[in-house]
Amino acid sequence: MPIQILPESVVSRIAAGEVIERPASAVKEMVENAIDAGATEIKVECLEGGRRMIRITDNGYGIHTDEVALAFAHHATSKLTSAEDLEHINTLGFRGEALASIASVSIVTCVSRHKDETTGTMMRIDNSRVITHERIGRNPGSTMTIEHLFARMPARLKFLKSNQTERGHIDGVITRYAMAYPHIRFTLLQDGKVIVQSTGNGSLRDVLIEVLGGQDVEKMIALNVEPTTVGAEDEASRSAITVRGFVGLPTLDHNSRSRITLFVNGRPVQDIKLASAVVQAYHTLLMVGRYPVAVIMVQVPSEDVDVNAHPAKAEVRFRDANAVFSAIQRAVRTTLLAHLAPPEAPVSIKGIENWGLTISDEVSHDAPVTSTTGNEAAHAPIIGHQPRLAGSETWERVGIARQAQVAPDAHPQPPISNPQSLIPNPQSPIPNPQSSIPNSQAPILPKPQLPALRILGQLALAYIIAEGPEGLYLIDQHAAHERILFERMMTQHDLGTVVTQPLLDPVVVTIPTSSAYVLEENINVMYELGFEIDPFGGATFLVRGVPSMMIQDDIVAAVHEIVAEMEAGEAEPLRKEIEARVLRRVCKRMAVKAGRVLPLSEMQALVRDLEACQSPRTCPHGRPTMIQIGVGQLEKLFGRLG
Amino acid sequence: MKLSCLQENLAKALNIVGRAVAPRTATLPVLTHILLASDNGRLRVSATNLELGVNCWIGAKVEDEGAITLPARTLTELVSLLPSDRIDLELNNRTQAVRVHCSKTDTNIKGIDAQEFPIVPIFDPEGAIYVHADVLRKLIAKTVFAAATDESRPMLTGVLIRMNENRITLFASDGFRLSVCSGQLAQPITEPRQVLVPAKTLAEVGRIVGDQQVPVAIAITPARGQILFHLENIDVVSQLIDQKFPEVEALIPKKYETLTVLNTADLLKACKQASIFARDASDVVRVRITPSEAGEGSTVDIAARADEKGDNMNELEASCTGVPIEIGFNVKFLIDVLSVIETPQVSLSTVTPKSPGLFKGLGDESFQHIVMPINLPKS
Repeated sequence: MPIQILPESVVSRIAAGEVIERPASAVKEMVENAIDAGATEIKVECLEGGRRMIRITDNGYGIHTDEVALAFAHHATSKLTSAEDLEHINTLGFRGEALASIASVSIVTCVSRHKDETTGTMMRIDNSRVITHERIGRNPGSTMTIEHLFARMPARLKFLKSNQTERGHIDGVITRYAMAYPHIRFTLLQDGKVIVQSTGNGSLRDVLIEVLGGQDVEKMIALNVEPTTVGAEDEASRSAITVRGFVGLPTLDHNSRSRITLFVNGRPVQDIKLASAVVQAYHTLLMVGRYPVAVIMVQVPSEDVDVNAHPAKAEVRFRDANAVFSAIQRAVRTTLLAHLAPPEAPVSIKGIENWGLTISDEVSHDAPVTSTTGNEAAHAPIIGHQPRLAGSETWERVGIARQAQVAPDAHPQPPISNPQSLIPNPQSPIPNPQSSIPNSQAPILPKPQLPALRILGQLALAYIIAEGPEGLYLIDQHAAHERILFERMMTQHDLGTVVTQPLLDPVVVTIPTSSAYVLEENINVMYELGFEIDPFGGATFLVRGVPSMMIQDDIVAAVHEIVAEMEAGEAEPLRKEIEARVLRRVCKRMAVKAGRVLPLSEMQALVRDLEACQSPRTCPHGRPTMIQIGVGQLEKLFGRLG
Repeated sequence: MKLSCLQENLAKALNIVGRAVAPRTATLPVLTHILLASDNGRLRVSATNLELGVNCWIGAKVEDEGAITLPARTLTELVSLLPSDRIDLELNNRTQAVRVHCSKTDTNIKGIDAQEFPIVPIFDPEGAIYVHADVLRKLIAKTVFAAATDESRPMLTGVLIRMNENRITLFASDGFRLSVCSGQLAQPITEPRQVLVPAKTLAEVGRIVGDQQVPVAIAITPARGQILFHLENIDVVSQLIDQKFPEVEALIPKKYETLTVLNTADLLKACKQASIFARDASDVVRVRITPSEAGEGSTVDIAARADEKGDNMNELEASCTGVPIEIGFNVKFLIDVLSVIETPQVSLSTVTPKSPGLFKGLGDESFQHIVMPINLPKS
């Protein structure tokens, strides 16, 4: 076949395929247009998963009568005039492609009235051909009806999934925009049934309750707002990254990253890197293979972000991706750490199930509600606008002490400069007094300390039994010790006070040849963690010094284990993560093993140290260090309470 | 077996051999037992955990020869509660039970056949090396603490005993410090000997030698698999470690840049104070040595700091020569070595903050202890 120029109709269909790949993408484009038009109410109706009909009605500015025809032309937009405008895009759309693309693959009816005009326009286009163009009466705003999408493109039609699936995608789109724009009232009807109905009252929390369900949202906390500066060295170009949103407590975990929803400047994005920033913030708080639930809104100055990177605008590029990464990680981490996370009844219930005890569903459903003082505090930052810290009457003393801790500081800052924080802190954050979210939504809470525990004894040479204000505590001695060592070493590492005990005579370690390069590459990481290792040719290394904590340990075996750990973590993008992996391994080696008899004094010391930890409730690998069974639950188990 | 002995003698013997009894989790049940056997008109009490074995002989009136093993704990507890009187032991060969009769107390304890008990070698004076008990106890006390407890490098869990002409020298190191202590043999020997003895068992030897005032005979079995310490009425046998102890003598620094002499007790006290804080800061103690022009009136600062706990600093008077130095040590190592130095003054020789420090009792050339300094945190 000779080379020939494709007819316009073919070109436009190919291009349209890039933008509109399924009904949900058409919905997305239309909703973005509605949002850009300043709508406060957007109604979406779909039939048969959008295959038969999609209708989007908004109350935005509408389109001028004489611009309606133009709107359907390729590269026609009101949002952009010059190439420079691409550098700071503040609208969701900008290419002027959406309407043209949709119109080339479906039958579109556009009814619109600009707010400054008295009558509206109706235009009907069948696969790029204008059928009707007339004036019509309407309230200000636009209604776009898309019918028989892809009817003339059997290739695309074939690849559409079941109506159910396509409906799901549309639900997803509307859900995400409802979260991103809580002040817009979204209504989604699928085949006549209301799927999403947001209030438009501006509260993200209310939207989350609508789309995620109240039970989950109860376990989510608002992020402490904390703008981070980019390019701090250059005073003029200093600009702020704001991270807002809600993150789930570690007890609200999920088996994939799919429940981490990210928005950049109000635009939902799928960015593995940003999602992993959220995951890393939960570092050591969640078990391996479990992922958090989070809704994160990142606000970046428009010139620092390039949204023109993906046809469907699902990906964005940042001028300083690492700054965004660490801003997210820090915001999530500080919020989590600052959050007074008292024992979560569901954790203990889970624990009991692991123990082989049976508990009726009723109990586990009731548990979060009936649990004592702690949980109320847990809910405080979500429900209340004032942190409710007071404990129950019996333990009032604790509550007062905690209040006293908070009270003297009238304007407490988030504990960002916390040396034990695991988050890299490349830029120093500046406190912003004109924070966009009122302080009350981000209460500063004392460290999630454990209450004073009374040791009762040791069980199975592995668990410490203790009594506290909230009932019975079973503490895993190994996991607890791991956590203590980990935080201690992390602190030392962050403060640069890691202590190396050099050896009188170096120890020769030979590791598998295939792994030698991993160790060689990471010799500096090892050095910062207290290992002095020199390559000695091939796969042989000389260990000249070890962290002073490890002087009782088997050096050769330790190095082998660490190398294996590094290999496993090779894919990790961040050196920090490799360090943490190595540290976790070291701590695991050093921690008291299960099976060792602990004298009372040692158990007391262990629990005291654990009480001082930042995240005393999980070991560095994310497993729980303790199981708590409330007195109320015991009463239920013993049938004393209904 | 039928014999009689005195309760206090038996109790003492059980106490001595008790250290060699295997823990109750031992795979071989007979190792948790104590062997009682008549032996040339005496009673031999033996225990072994295969690594360490102890024989103890006490006077007895033997009527019938024989041997039996009895559970160590039962027997020891019982005997310690018996009145201070004559004990009659009579074995019922059919039931393997021993009737223990003392004054008005009658007890039967079930045993295991003595045939099952491992043979604990008996001392053979041929080729034995003699060293005074005092000397041996001192040598052990000044070295065993420096041996490694971790089994990964088995040679470091042992104490090297080197005997040459009229000297006996013990070496122990855990890779971070080295203790060397030498003493006089009671009789010179012709052929040099060198063995590696597990520090654990050697510590027991030290305890058993206790306050004995007699020379101790040391015999090394011809196959070099075991070492036997023979005292009057007591034999202690230990397995040897069949590994090469590293060449450590070269590690002992021969010269110094700074020589510091301090009061041993003051330094130990300062270290103990510092350790209260150091234990929360990787056990690091900073030693800052400032020699004065005159040599006398120099000062040594011993300081420790724990970020969350506080800090402690002691200024000690010292006499120093050489250049000022600031050097870090693991305070536990310092306490260990200072606790075994008997002289009122201790000398510390240092070269650089990265090379080992040498501790000696002033005026005691028999003991040298080197400690690898800790790298002070980069602050």
